[in-house]
Amino acid sequence: MSAPPYASKETQLYRTEDVLATLGMIRQHKLDVRTVTMGVDLSGCGSPDLAVLCARVRDRLLHFAGRLRQVCHEVEQRYGIPIVNRRIAVSPVAGVASAHSAEGYLELARTLDAVAEEVGVDLVGGFSAQVQKGWTDGARRLIGTLPEVLSTTKRVCASVNVGTTAAGINMDAVLALGHVLKDAAERTRAHDGFGCAKLVIFANAPSDNPFMAGAFHGPGEPDCVINIGVSGPGVVKAAVEDLMAHATVNPTLGEIAEEIKSTAFRVTRVGELIGREVASRLGVAFGIVDLSLAPTPQVGDSVGEILQAMGVLRIGAPGSTAALALLNDAVKKGGSFASSSVGGLSGAFVAVSEDAALAHAVEQGDLTLAKLEAMTAVCSVGLDMIAVPGETDAETLAALIADEVAIGVINHKTTAVRVIPVPGKAAGDRAVFGGLFGEMTILPIHAAGGSAEFVRHGGRIPAPLSSLRN
Amino acid sequence: MKNYIVTVTAADQVGIVQTVAGTIRARGGNILELSQTVMRGYFTIILEVSFPEPLSTKALAGALTADGERFDLTVVVIEADERARQVPVPNGERFILTVLGDDAPGNIHGIAGCLAARGVNIVDLHARVDGTRFALVMEAFLPSDLSPADVRAELEKFGREHGLEAYVQHENIFTATSEPSPVRVGPPLRIQGDAIVPH
Repeated sequence: MSAPPYASKETQLYRTEDVLATLGMIRQHKLDVRTVTMGVDLSGCGSPDLAVLCARVRDRLLHFAGRLRQVCHEVEQRYGIPIVNRRIAVSPVAGVASAHSAEGYLELARTLDAVAEEVGVDLVGGFSAQVQKGWTDGARRLIGTLPEVLSTTKRVCASVNVGTTAAGINMDAVLALGHVLKDAAERTRAHDGFGCAKLVIFANAPSDNPFMAGAFHGPGEPDCVINIGVSGPGVVKAAVEDLMAHATVNPTLGEIAEEIKSTAFRVTRVGELIGREVASRLGVAFGIVDLSLAPTPQVGDSVGEILQAMGVLRIGAPGSTAALALLNDAVKKGGSFASSSVGGLSGAFVAVSEDAALAHAVEQGDLTLAKLEAMTAVCSVGLDMIAVPGETDAETLAALIADEVAIGVINHKTTAVRVIPVPGKAAGDRAVFGGLFGEMTILPIHAAGGSAEFVRHGGRIPAPLSSLRN
Repeated sequence: MKNYIVTVTAADQVGIVQTVAGTIRARGGNILELSQTVMRGYFTIILEVSFPEPLSTKALAGALTADGERFDLTVVVIEADERARQVPVPNGERFILTVLGDDAPGNIHGIAGCLAARGVNIVDLHARVDGTRFALVMEAFLPSDLSPADVRAELEKFGREHGLEAYVQHENIFTATSEPSPVRVGPPLRIQGDAIVPH
């Protein structure tokens, strides 16, 4: 049987069941592209003249991101998959504006805020500094302006990398950031300290992370790049539930891991397709897909619900860490097979206020700060979106940061802290951030105030040994 | 060489393909392409066959019917017309259209009407009713100047009145999620003689 020259055009290719399975992920299980994040290098924008610097930054962002909204809309229509957020990540601003005073940093933050609104992105990340080994004058000024930036701009997100496995932990910066959190929270008191939700404190921060608030365009990246953050907790949960419903015998954890892997494959593929298409239409590079399972406060879009589907009905109970480790690893395995362009944070987020099931577990008293800290040892991204009592002192916040950063530094992984000391509210009260940031019951900090002397020593916790790894 | 298009329908049984292919072989024919499906117990085959010399379509249909008498075949044979090789939607792109919702007489007629009015060519279509739920998945070529959003809006207009929801998605998203081959954007790099994947 020889192939006629016209056969290929009409050949039927797709099984109805495959089409309905993929469509079902979008229709019923909230599969979407959580963010298309455009990274833009600003290192060439520097000028001793503040007005020139701001004008250059604005021109460069308009040049690359001017069509981002339109192109994302076109791609959404073409593939019938929602692109929930468009964002921009810029080079760490500490370096871009290093010649300027604190007022210069503030002006640049206002410029970023205005351009973000102009090009239709909801957040712009990169008001950032890397200070793991020490801080420049510029980085120190940037950190000093954070409370004002976080409280007076709408879209600007900040991050500070305070530790790496190679450099250790800059405890001076950690303590300074404890004070920044207090100040930023107080300035946004009317909104339960929401300013702190736009600041991430990192260990081993990735330079290509598309998720906010910690996105920035790091060294080694091209002029402009498109990075993708997919979503998919709902899809993974549905897959696990389906497996349970249709299995004739109780599935083993190995079988559950396989199911999660194959689901992660599909989710990652959607992200890569959308990323490549957006990049191609804009004529810029495609960077990475971040595999992270990013929850939203909606029921059915929760990492916690996946753990429940696996049998950890009370999140925070013993077994929660093991279940999360299984989930995180299976997602990475499926995603890595799906795409060679995987990067960013790529794990399961346990962002408490943003995840309905986790927030509920906190409310029930099942999920504690100590258990959350343990869980972050096996997943990304750390103590994320956690409301703590407003009266918590800066030293205790710094010590909380130091603990989480130490987990990342010692384990060669990214960890991060995004905690909100809610002014005027105590443990058990409700903190409400709204929208994707969600709400939660304020968690108590056990033995708060008991480690102030430790963090006041300052200096640097040395880089860890890389051998004798037990 | 002369080519013919043969279609055969019957209640499904073991041995129909062998009988049809045997009749063709006995007359010196060579099958160029063949597609067969079984739906709700009924077998249908369409094939293009090439013979070294022209023959009577009536005679070939008669032979197929006679050889397959025990299967009670319904056979149609027509001459292949080279004009049929023209692609109805030149430079079109393949989209997957899915319509889901309440079953009602006239759904497919209404949907196809929306598409025909916009110059959309259906190349593959599978629809079924499961209880009262209607599901239709089709592959269709959209003219290059027609946006998928317009087609979806058109289908949704029809769907709103009939309890149906419609999706129009470029085929690449299904390739990406269903096949392990590398993700691609833009037009497909399909080679001649692709394997046919049955429903």
